[in-house]
Amino acid sequence: MILTGKKIIEEVQKNRIEILPFDKKRITTNSYDLSLGDTLIRYKTGVIDPKQKTPYEEIKIPADGLVLQAGEFVLGNSKERIGSDFYVPLIHGKSGTARMGLFVHVTADLIDIGSHGVTTFQLYATLPVRLHAGMLIAQVSFWVPFGNIVLYKGKYQNSTGPRPSMTYKDFKYDIFKKN
Amino acid sequence: MILTGNKIKEEIKTGNIIIKPFIPDQINPNSYNYRLGSKLKVFYKFDGNKTLFKEIKIPKEGYILEARKMYLANTKEVIGSSKYAMSLIGRSSMGRCGLFLQCSANLGHTTSEHRWTLEIVAALPIRLYPGMIIGQVSFWRNFGTVKKYRGQYGFLNHPQESLVPLIQQKKL
Repeated sequence: MILTGKKIIEEVQKNRIEILPFDKKRITTNSYDLSLGDTLIRYKTGVIDPKQKTPYEEIKIPADGLVLQAGEFVLGNSKERIGSDFYVPLIHGKSGTARMGLFVHVTADLIDIGSHGVTTFQLYATLPVRLHAGMLIAQVSFWVPFGNIVLYKGKYQNSTGPRPSMTYKDFKYDIFKKN
Repeated sequence: MILTGNKIKEEIKTGNIIIKPFIPDQINPNSYNYRLGSKLKVFYKFDGNKTLFKEIKIPKEGYILEARKMYLANTKEVIGSSKYAMSLIGRSSMGRCGLFLQCSANLGHTTSEHRWTLEIVAALPIRLYPGMIIGQVSFWRNFGTVKKYRGQYGFLNHPQESLVPLIQQKKL
């Protein structure tokens, strides 16, 4: 079951959903619109190796925006801090940004219950697109869980800006080495 | 409703969810992390109807995917459910590397059970290792009566290219 916009407002008021800052005007029928922060991350490497930390640079989006070329990939973040210990958030693009050929996540829409922080956008442009800080770029919906809840305690908790991948941590305890 | 990690564990015990092999450490609050299998299909030609792939074994030291090229692979695990619908997606850790795990076809049909084919596209060149944790699958409650899946793909265990051209030519 997906929450309606009205239900999202109620649950924000009861502190069962965190959206900070929260502006009622951004509520849609089944979601809340998220805006783009002012910082982007671009990896500085030829080939990403998930076993290693990848070097990257941080870029501030200038006042007149920043053009992503077709095929370019950068990380951004929602200005809003979001999370819930009661519902499961899913991230979606806004149809307006998708119509410009922009992906806001790369097949990873699911946010763990109990995860709080600004969410990292995985921005992949299929056509040239100009990004502006503060633009409404994505939306978050909330879904009812089934079963006992164990809250997220993962490596991206309490993010305050775009966070590069920490997948190298997954290899530390990896069992396939033994196989 | 989406199943919590605890519920996924319970339903594995009852047999309503199949994940083989199942490693409890790979449970998330709302999903299960799946691993990459050992084979990759690399596109080499479009013959006018079909996309042709050659199959390779992913070496232990990894295989570098070229950016913006499509590859097929499969999950290491057999994944399925007689009771729940599934959504097979990437993980944020891999999404942050620009790795797509499917091409907008995340929905897994209730009653299908197999090693899922992954449609992999890398936004940036990336090295993949056999058996690495690469994506996640979530389970969703159904509303209505479940009818058995009768599709072409639900029981296949290798990276399977599209059967659409064969269906169009009525060979399937």
